[in-house]
Amino acid sequence: MIISRRSVFTLAGLGIATAGLSACAGTGGSASQQQEGSGTLQFWSNHPGSSRDLEQKLIDAWNEANPDTPAELIDGGADYEELGQKFNAALAGGDLPDVIVASDVTWFNFAFTEATTPLDDLWAENDIDTSTYVETLLEDYNFEGKHYGVPYSRSTPLMYWYTADLEKACLPTDRGPQTWQEFAEEWGPKLKEATGKPALVVADGSNYLDWYFQGAFWTFGGAYSDEWDLKFTDPKTVEAGKFLQKMVQDGLVSVVKDSANDFGIGNASGLLESTGSLGGLKESAQGDFITTYLPGPKPGTTTGGAGLAIPAGISDERKAVAVKFIDFMTNTENTITFTQETGYMPVRSDAADVPEQAKYMEENPNAETAIRQLEENTKPQDFARVFVNGGGQAIGGALDKIVAGQDVEEVFSALQDELQATIDRDIKPNL
Amino acid sequence: MAFDYQVPAVPAENGLSEPTQQAKEAEVPQRSGTAPAENRRSKIWGYLGLALATLIVALPLYFVLMTSFKTHGDIYSNPVSWIPSPFAPENYSYVWNTLNFDRYFLNSVIITVSLVIIEVSFGVLSAYAFAFIRFPGSSLLFFLVIGTLMVPNEITIISNYALVAQLGWRNTFTGIIVPLAGVAFGTFLMRNHFRSLPKEIFEAATMDGAGFFRTLFKVVLPMSWPTLMAFVLITAVTEWNQYLWPFLVSDTEKVAPLQIGLTQLQDVEGLTNWGPVMAGTILTTIPMIVLFLLLQKSMIKGLTAGAVKG
Amino acid sequence: MPNVVLLIVFTYRPLIDNIRLSFYNWNISSTRPATFVGLQNYIEWASNPVSWQIVWQTIIFTVVAVFGSMVIGLALALLLDRKLKGRNFVRSLIFAPYVISGAAIGVAFQFVFDPGYGLIQDLLGRVGMDSPDFYSSPGWALFMVTATYVWKNLGYTFVIYLAALQGLRKDLDEAAEIDRTPRARKFFRVTLPQLRPTTFFLSITVLLNSLQVFDIINVMTAGGPLGTSTTTLVFQVYQETFVNSRAGYGAAVATIMFLAVLVITVVQVRMQDKEN
Repeated sequence: MIISRRSVFTLAGLGIATAGLSACAGTGGSASQQQEGSGTLQFWSNHPGSSRDLEQKLIDAWNEANPDTPAELIDGGADYEELGQKFNAALAGGDLPDVIVASDVTWFNFAFTEATTPLDDLWAENDIDTSTYVETLLEDYNFEGKHYGVPYSRSTPLMYWYTADLEKACLPTDRGPQTWQEFAEEWGPKLKEATGKPALVVADGSNYLDWYFQGAFWTFGGAYSDEWDLKFTDPKTVEAGKFLQKMVQDGLVSVVKDSANDFGIGNASGLLESTGSLGGLKESAQGDFITTYLPGPKPGTTTGGAGLAIPAGISDERKAVAVKFIDFMTNTENTITFTQETGYMPVRSDAADVPEQAKYMEENPNAETAIRQLEENTKPQDFARVFVNGGGQAIGGALDKIVAGQDVEEVFSALQDELQATIDRDIKPNL
Repeated sequence: MAFDYQVPAVPAENGLSEPTQQAKEAEVPQRSGTAPAENRRSKIWGYLGLALATLIVALPLYFVLMTSFKTHGDIYSNPVSWIPSPFAPENYSYVWNTLNFDRYFLNSVIITVSLVIIEVSFGVLSAYAFAFIRFPGSSLLFFLVIGTLMVPNEITIISNYALVAQLGWRNTFTGIIVPLAGVAFGTFLMRNHFRSLPKEIFEAATMDGAGFFRTLFKVVLPMSWPTLMAFVLITAVTEWNQYLWPFLVSDTEKVAPLQIGLTQLQDVEGLTNWGPVMAGTILTTIPMIVLFLLLQKSMIKGLTAGAVKG
Repeated sequence: MPNVVLLIVFTYRPLIDNIRLSFYNWNISSTRPATFVGLQNYIEWASNPVSWQIVWQTIIFTVVAVFGSMVIGLALALLLDRKLKGRNFVRSLIFAPYVISGAAIGVAFQFVFDPGYGLIQDLLGRVGMDSPDFYSSPGWALFMVTATYVWKNLGYTFVIYLAALQGLRKDLDEAAEIDRTPRARKFFRVTLPQLRPTTFFLSITVLLNSLQVFDIINVMTAGGPLGTSTTTLVFQVYQETFVNSRAGYGAAVATIMFLAVLVITVVQVRMQDKEN
């Protein structure tokens, strides 16, 4: 009995002691120091595009060339969210990695909270040439004149069409609809009549409908936002929302969880999906298909995917190695290898001059669509989707409601209020 | 107070002496004549129930199993294909070759076995103490233990991660195992079970002069075999399937368990080929099914042994 | 008792940390110090109608999950406690889903529920019916995750009930047998009361477990459709903390949830005490 009581006091003491030990945990206190590393560069990746083996191969090459500053590939999780979570844990608890993969919706939060470091000075100090990066892709990581990331696994939405269905509907097989009006008046009805299926399938709000359909809002003259200025109540944005709703109600567009596979089994004539699906669809689709730009007027769509970033809390020596490592992972030769094996876009503009890549593009016209579209038909995403925490998800949820038939004005005005509150609370005070 | 209850004292006599029972008694002779028929009928119902249960549980399982043998196109065929065509066992070799499967498997075994040993020892000892030793604050302490079941791990991970990182335990088995080793569920389960054992046995054992541990090992545990096996089984399954915590703490295949290795089979953008993912899932699940088959036997054996001694 | 020490260090210390955090506005990635905001997180939560929708969904999910898995689990345990041929096989079968990880089941069940290529649409199609939109209709989506959860966790209630049934004092059974008590009556008069400790144990553990369901929802619906139609409280905690980076607000939701669970459990225990 006495023993038990004593043990109660002991453990109470222990509890207090450990609480003291971690007193600063949970408030980010430990991240402000400059952490020395173990001597090996830690690259946290979720291996976008099933690229684990490829990444390992590139790292092996790096280690051979730089035996003094070896790198190690760490599994950062199944998707960008998990990687962000692991990085957040490291921010709170210590043991930061040297390089992380940051997605289009996570990089800004890390930059904004100064969890990741601006790269411009590091580039200058280490003589790194950034002029050959595809400009639009690099500028995506620009915040207040500084770059917080480098493009790595970058994608853009494409339209996929079954050639046989297009022929059946007497539509051209060398281009997509040039405007959403053309789709609504000609392509959609013709395809639906000829095949009895929806003309186009797209993923739902839990699976990035907000990303795929972003460009469509622009073609109507609307937007999610103009910088920090939300545009959901703008009549043109509302008009685009109503357009989406009508397309679904008329049975021309179907919105499902797994759109790529829905198209793959032939449940629709067309598909609005990322370039990342190209490789998989080549194997699983029910026949030949073409890929086209998204409808204009230009720019009709945007880019997405992920880049590489460096944590702010590591020592300057580690940062110097990290910035060189990033340069290596995304150099012309390696971005070509990466592109050809995953379906993502090359991130260096001089990639096209390499004969090997030129030949590849010629043999794979569908891969070329994405690269040409990048130059002609894209612009950076709206702040409301990628810079506001939870913005993409909130917009996706709202688009789901519109698809389900709820009143567009009401849904959008509620969304506007919600995101405005977030901006006023989390962004404005820290700008 | 809390969580206390005794063996529900519902001796047969009590139940039968209820007034309502008398009304029914008139039927008894009548039914005695039809007893064999009724028995057969209930058997038939039993088998029907068995068949229904099998169907509802087995159909999706069958489907998962078949998916693991399908090629990508076949998985998405409509109408559904009930038998893989073509048959694609290469999903399994793909999993084996893509992942360092044996390494992840070994890590999973190390983590799970350590945790089962620690948790079962802790669980049985704490439960025994809570069940039989009266000490001040014991019910409060017990409530604290049960209270941990109410705390979702989503809110503990960040803080624990910080602690583990400060201790230098990241990417070590210690770091994965120690924070998971506290056992509330098993303490609760075993204590409840111990309480339901007949009091006389302990009195007899105490009179024989058996000590604390002797009573535990010679008297109490042999009578608790089925529950103990259930405890072992559920602990093993829970720890085998841990994801979030080992994911945060481990970096490489030096310590990461299978569940984390499996995520390499999925693709974030574009199409995941689900055949290998399902094959990986099946491979990961088999050890737990085998464990169940093994423990199920001792659950029954333990019961008969207990019955003889009790 | 090293066990209690471990639990205090790795559960209560974080819990207290969490409660403290709930009074702050803190971006989880931020290196800037958190700002103290008092009860603001709680007020914001309570004044947002979506929170109450999530509470309601959590209640529906939990109640159905607890009753569903306990009633079916007990029925199956009773059935398989009898001497039927092939029972060992069926026992293993029922337990099998429980050993598969929730994430894997979530992935696998898209091949069961998907209205385009799933098993259910195939079966319904054979009798000329259309498949419900499991992923896009809020009601059906909640049904889907709940049914999946019950299916997976039957093995747990089943095994615990089976172990308990096998440990029951057979003499009581026999006494009832000799008296030729009707089966149903025997069940309610003899078996069920004897199982009461087990039922109580399960009602608490299943309740606590189902309140913490995460994997299945994350993989199957990510909390959607329509943004939040299958979001439960613990999923909201996860979303706010790790996806929206609002760790302070997430901590407030977690604290609310913890307090609610605490109250429910204490009530449950009190009711149990009263019955005895």
